Amino acid sequence: MLNNKNYRDQFPGLHQEVHGKPLVYLDNAATAQRPQVVIDAINDYYVNHNANIHRGVHSLSESATDLYENARKSLAKLLNAPSEKDLIFVRGCTEAVNLVAQTFVRSRVQKGDEILISHLEHHSNIVPWQLLCEQTGAVLKVIPMNDAGELCLEQLDDLLTDKTKFMSVVHVSNALGTINPVKEMVAKAHAKGVPVMLDGAQATPHLKVDVQDLDCDFYTVSGHKMYGPTGSGVLYGKAEHLEAMPPYHGGGEMISKVTFESTVYNAVPAKFEAGTPNIAGGIGLGAAAEFMMSIGLENIEQRDAELKSYAEQALLTVPGLRLVGNAKHKSPVFSFVIDGIHAHDIGTIIDHHGVAIRTGHHCTMPIFQYFGLAGSCRASFAFYNTEAEVDVLVGALKKAIAMFE
Amino acid sequence: MTDLNKLYKQTILEHNRNPRNFGKPESWTHHAEGLNAICGDLVNVYLTIEEDVISSIAYDGESCAISMASASMMTEFIKNRTVKDALEKFELFCQLMAKGSDVKHIDDLAALNHLVTVKKFPSRIKSATLCWHAMAAAINGQATATTE
Ligand SMILES: Cc1ncc(COP(=O)(O)O)c(C=O)c1O
Repeated sequence: MLNNKNYRDQFPGLHQEVHGKPLVYLDNAATAQRPQVVIDAINDYYVNHNANIHRGVHSLSESATDLYENARKSLAKLLNAPSEKDLIFVRGCTEAVNLVAQTFVRSRVQKGDEILISHLEHHSNIVPWQLLCEQTGAVLKVIPMNDAGELCLEQLDDLLTDKTKFMSVVHVSNALGTINPVKEMVAKAHAKGVPVMLDGAQATPHLKVDVQDLDCDFYTVSGHKMYGPTGSGVLYGKAEHLEAMPPYHGGGEMISKVTFESTVYNAVPAKFEAGTPNIAGGIGLGAAAEFMMSIGLENIEQRDAELKSYAEQALLTVPGLRLVGNAKHKSPVFSFVIDGIHAHDIGTIIDHHGVAIRTGHHCTMPIFQYFGLAGSCRASFAFYNTEAEVDVLVGALKKAIAMFE
Repeated sequence: MTDLNKLYKQTILEHNRNPRNFGKPESWTHHAEGLNAICGDLVNVYLTIEEDVISSIAYDGESCAISMASASMMTEFIKNRTVKDALEKFELFCQLMAKGSDVKHIDDLAALNHLVTVKKFPSRIKSATLCWHAMAAAINGQATATTE
């Protein structure tokens, strides 16, 4: 059992006041708060190990390199990747998708080929494919969704054609919380010979992710959503793909020999990590991965389930509130609208009660076009949130409604 | 009453309940769409300009109460002014609402001064100014306006 109180104490950002009220932070899907161990790991690098990595023979450079490479190992453990060499450090999921689109997929698609995504995608898993389609003449296809916010998987087999060259789908929806049956989807795609990338931005903060069990070809991780630093993340790729892929950015570090005539690229993963990386970010992300494993993903999953059922029941007591998306498998993310009150007004009013939620389209405009809405309010929970905070949210929503009466 | 309560109770909600000049008119001479991409706010402003006078002005759209109330107030305030006067008032309104400025009141803006409280919620200032940018764009013959 997870001792919620102890874990809350490890997140300094949770203990502050907003407009004179204790902060109730329910915008975790936008970015999570960071535990002290992550902040300490970043600080420790800058104070005690500050040096560039992979290029110095001096002691500081060596210890910085060790910290960075150990972080890669921690992430490999978190994702159960076969080797830490299968992980590329990136700025976040957005960069990971662009990297795969412009290297692996670009070298495989021709005019008329198809890329398959889903209706639940974040803009970061739509726009890079549209760019690729513009460059290559490939066509973007979309797995539809239903009123519950679940993907229509019975259509997947038909959507996977002999023209489909790649499928990229979100593991957990940031807007609705839907958990997609990605293992099954990967199997279906593989049966047609289609490689698959999964957007894990909202999955790693909540679920035990095993990339070998999922058998996905690529998996993206966003550091700042899983209690790590902003501008950090990793891309997992199957070793054979990473070996075969052309590099993404050119520069230092990704080479083993440069002359003006030609360049020999460095081995994976360095081949994809041009320039000085976000060293402190990578180290902080490693600390976040260790922190999550020390809590235990099964404990986090259990706590999520408790919070989800409490919050769902509590929200449904708010008059005029309608939940958007009610997938059977869902993470503790609630999108909702309230009759007659625009989401931004609700957001501003409940901020005055210390409650931070997100309002708008959550970078998933097609989802809201489906529902005929301009956007929603979204309360997204982390394991450190409490039932008492749910009550504050509900109370604040009721006060907002009263103001409009 | 808190600032927020005051803002909504005394100004915003009155205009939300009784919006002035709301709805797409049958005809107009100038139109622009105001778009706030981050918030998803959308306001259309329709003007009929006859001999340099804004003889009618209307708006519609989909956005928050602050943005809708501001548009309602703007149309009431701008109607029957000359184009030059309207653009001058746009400049003044921008000065009143500028993020971080300590301007609290501008006589020439009359009832619009009530909206100054929005400045206390900096993320919402653009909601209040969007319709004004759309009006200026319409006058200047631009199809769309943003608050960026
Ligand atoms: C589902 C999903 N995918 C991708 C992203 C983008 O991730 P990042 O901020 O790491 O680029 C987000 C975050 O907003 C997200 O929620």
